[in-house]
Amino acid sequence: MTAYTTTTVIAATAIGAEHPLAARELAQACGADLDWVVQLVEVGIVATAPLAAAPADWRFDSTDLLSALEARRLERDFGVGLEAAALILDLQHEVRRLKAALQAQGR
Amino acid sequence: MEFKDYYKALGVERTASDDEVRKAYRKLARKYHPDVSKEADAQIKMRDINEAKDVLGDKEKRAAYDALADRVARGGHAGAAGDGSFQPPPGWDEGFEFHRGPGQGPADHADFSEFFSSVFGRGEQRGAASRAYRARGEDHHAAIEISIEDALKGVEREITLRALENDAQGQPTFVNRTLSVKIPAGVHPGQFIRLSGHGMPGQGGGAAGDLYLEVRMAPHKLYRVEGNDLYMTLPVTPTEAALGAQVQVPTPAGGVVEVTVPPNARSGLKLRLKERGLPGKPPGHLYLLLDIVLPPADTEAARKAYEQLAQAAPFHPRRHLGV
Repeated sequence: MTAYTTTTVIAATAIGAEHPLAARELAQACGADLDWVVQLVEVGIVATAPLAAAPADWRFDSTDLLSALEARRLERDFGVGLEAAALILDLQHEVRRLKAALQAQGR
Repeated sequence: MEFKDYYKALGVERTASDDEVRKAYRKLARKYHPDVSKEADAQIKMRDINEAKDVLGDKEKRAAYDALADRVARGGHAGAAGDGSFQPPPGWDEGFEFHRGPGQGPADHADFSEFFSSVFGRGEQRGAASRAYRARGEDHHAAIEISIEDALKGVEREITLRALENDAQGQPTFVNRTLSVKIPAGVHPGQFIRLSGHGMPGQGGGAAGDLYLEVRMAPHKLYRVEGNDLYMTLPVTPTEAALGAQVQVPTPAGGVVEVTVPPNARSGLKLRLKERGLPGKPPGHLYLLLDIVLPPADTEAARKAYEQLAQAAPFHPRRHLGV
């Protein structure tokens, strides 16, 4: 079996306020469907503005994508419900924030 | 390439039930979760058990893996060179089709081993190809580590994606696709970079999926990262701390700024350089943590100066201890 290599130069887009993800794109990135994203919004794992708008108008940033991917893994690997996943993600976020704060203070 | 014993990785027998596999995975995932584990190699262990669970937790993949392990045990294709090297035999997985079930999520195999890619990469692609309908390819995920300076200025970085494809003779061949990715200026940790059309190929004329790269910051010799804020220890002399001073400080964006240390500054005092941290909404700040460094009393003149200071400014820092 031989290997060969091809090189392509490509421009990348940073997901953020200027280039947000639509609900459908967030679902695709997580291998899920739109209903699942609606549930994420309902339990508060991801936040969208404006909340009152239809799912087609929702916009998400990188933080939402990270939370959605983590929630998907928790569902798949541990069989947890999304409400429990939301709590685990909040705790995980707090642990990471405190660890980073300690490290930033040089401790 | 080393043959991976997935049963050993999860610490289960080959006869283990699905439930036993699941339980073993969950127990180990808690032990080696990078957020809670004290083990030095937690990250590698976590990757191994994730990979093992991905195979043993899936009926089709597990059956194919067992069949392959049997062939290897019969001595056909593993360790022939005596160095533990392994190549899956051609056609070993005939009769197996791998399908992604609902809830199996995106193909987050970016961190998995070469062994996994060689054994299951092709199967997964063929499984996907067996769908008769038009479907968009799946999105892929990986992480990319860049320096703080590169995050601020933007950088071009090469990443290599490995895929197993059939060559002109129909033989499976690894294709390394090297992408030179232009990462835009102003990315922050945890931000995702999207490479449209560089995920899994689509089926039946469907569009290819996207590749998402999660930005991580490489450790820096001066700055420590907390969210979008940066922290730097700023050493000052006792004289600078006592009397106040103007000191020069390098900023991550390049260049130098002059910072005022206030008189009677204490060790650990935090000075903020507004919006000089990582970009974002809101932008991060650069914090300077004052560290008062004593000149060594290693000459007669220095010792004398310390004694004179003690006489000129009598000071009892342990008064509150009551002794």
